[in-house]
Amino acid sequence: MNERIYLLPRWIRLWHWTNAVLIIALGVTGFGLHFASPAYELVEFSLAVRIHNIAGLALTGLFFFFVIANAASGNWRQYVPKSPGILHRCWLQTRYYCWGVFKGEPEPFPVTREVNFNALQSLIYWLIMYVVLPANIVTGLLYLTPQFSPPRIFGFDGHLTVAMLHYLSAAIILLFAIAHIYLGSMGAKVTSMYKTMITGWHEHE
Amino acid sequence: MNLSTVWLGNAVAGLALVLAGSLCHAAESDLDPEALEQARLLNAKCLTCHVVEALRHPPRAGIDLKKLRRVILDPAAFASSAHGRLACTKCHTEGYTEQPHAPDANEMTNTCSDCHSRIVRKIEQGFEASVHAKNLTDIITCITCHDPHVMRSVKNMADPSKIVLQHNRVCLGCHDSDETFAKYAPEKRVRPAIDDIHSWLPNTRMHWKAVRCVECHTPLSDDVNVPSHEIVKRDRAERKCVSCHSSNSTLNARLYRYLAREEQQKYGFLNSAILGNAYMISATRNPVVDGIVIVLAGLTLFGVLVHGVLRFIAYRLRRKQNHE
Repeated sequence: MNERIYLLPRWIRLWHWTNAVLIIALGVTGFGLHFASPAYELVEFSLAVRIHNIAGLALTGLFFFFVIANAASGNWRQYVPKSPGILHRCWLQTRYYCWGVFKGEPEPFPVTREVNFNALQSLIYWLIMYVVLPANIVTGLLYLTPQFSPPRIFGFDGHLTVAMLHYLSAAIILLFAIAHIYLGSMGAKVTSMYKTMITGWHEHE
Repeated sequence: MNLSTVWLGNAVAGLALVLAGSLCHAAESDLDPEALEQARLLNAKCLTCHVVEALRHPPRAGIDLKKLRRVILDPAAFASSAHGRLACTKCHTEGYTEQPHAPDANEMTNTCSDCHSRIVRKIEQGFEASVHAKNLTDIITCITCHDPHVMRSVKNMADPSKIVLQHNRVCLGCHDSDETFAKYAPEKRVRPAIDDIHSWLPNTRMHWKAVRCVECHTPLSDDVNVPSHEIVKRDRAERKCVSCHSSNSTLNARLYRYLAREEQQKYGFLNSAILGNAYMISATRNPVVDGIVIVLAGLTLFGVLVHGVLRFIAYRLRRKQNHE
């Protein structure tokens, strides 16, 4: 019989799924804009611009909501890996993903009500939520209001640096999203963790 | 058409003629310092009267200042213009052999086609089909847009932003000014608000600083060296963003056509010539960075797929072993 604990309050689940929808919309339209061609259009260019702008502004608002709610609720602590032995725990987690999971070994650091993330998750989520996503949002806002971009950087149009940072940070978020969605299948059952994100109840063996 | 327009028209046409001459003779006059000096000295005589300063302090008595006010030049702008190295008398032929010329000297000048016959022949059909020629038959001529005392040669302007400024100033001079628009437009025609009719275009004013109105309001010419002069109305104007916003941007055959190929590729970006002036979504991409991102995304997808398959196989094997 699997045990269940109530792990995720409603606001986290709502934030998570809104975030997911917005990032998918931004990813699809952003890909379409970056690789636009007369031969094919994933989404018609000007429509993609409108969707991207609106979704980007919504994501900005959602990010501020996340930071404030995270601070107020104390959930921010989940994003800080606890010392000592952070690197060693990261190594054990990596080893589990690369080897232990195939051998049927148990999770080295099972989820508890107090500690939702393992050390590797904490580090990566912190990096994504507090470094990469803000960089993407700031450069996106500069993209939206190019008059605030520095006129020239390194001899290039200032917008170039902003655009490249926006593109690269978006690419990192895309790579993270692929791995994130897949790792969601590594719960007690393949669907357990997806259900957790819907119901808030975590199931473990 | 008022007198000053005619006069200036003549002047321009005359200058253009010289340019006809000029395209024919520019090379030799470039190399002939004596001819250049003669032109400079002659023009200096003309510019003792045809400058703003002469209105305040007329160089001689009896000048009709009202008439002179209509034919004032900016010497600096003229000097850097495409016709700036030509003698005024190249275009202003009849009655201008002596300076000061007689007050009743012929105000007609040579026409643009006298010098630019080859180009005029090529653009003529397009111009006749343009909205300007159709709606304003006798009002709009070459010099309405191409002021021969001011316009610089695009070929000699290395900075595309300056080309954009020069060209859009002409278009917006009428289409963003009720006063000037009313001078040319048919009676009762109200100028549509320029921002409103372009509201579909994101960052409209930014676009106008980066590209010319004619990038969208003319069809792409077959001859890259002679841009189409068929100015089209908004219903026929280019609205497909990807015409410019793509790796095969049509701007390479328009605004950036004079920049050499090596210039276009020098930063390792697609369309580097554009990049040197403005980042443009989907047109100025770095193929190496794109390649790395695509490979990493592919590897990540492949990695999770392989991981998932191996997990499934390992799970089945363990289950089989447990049953045994």
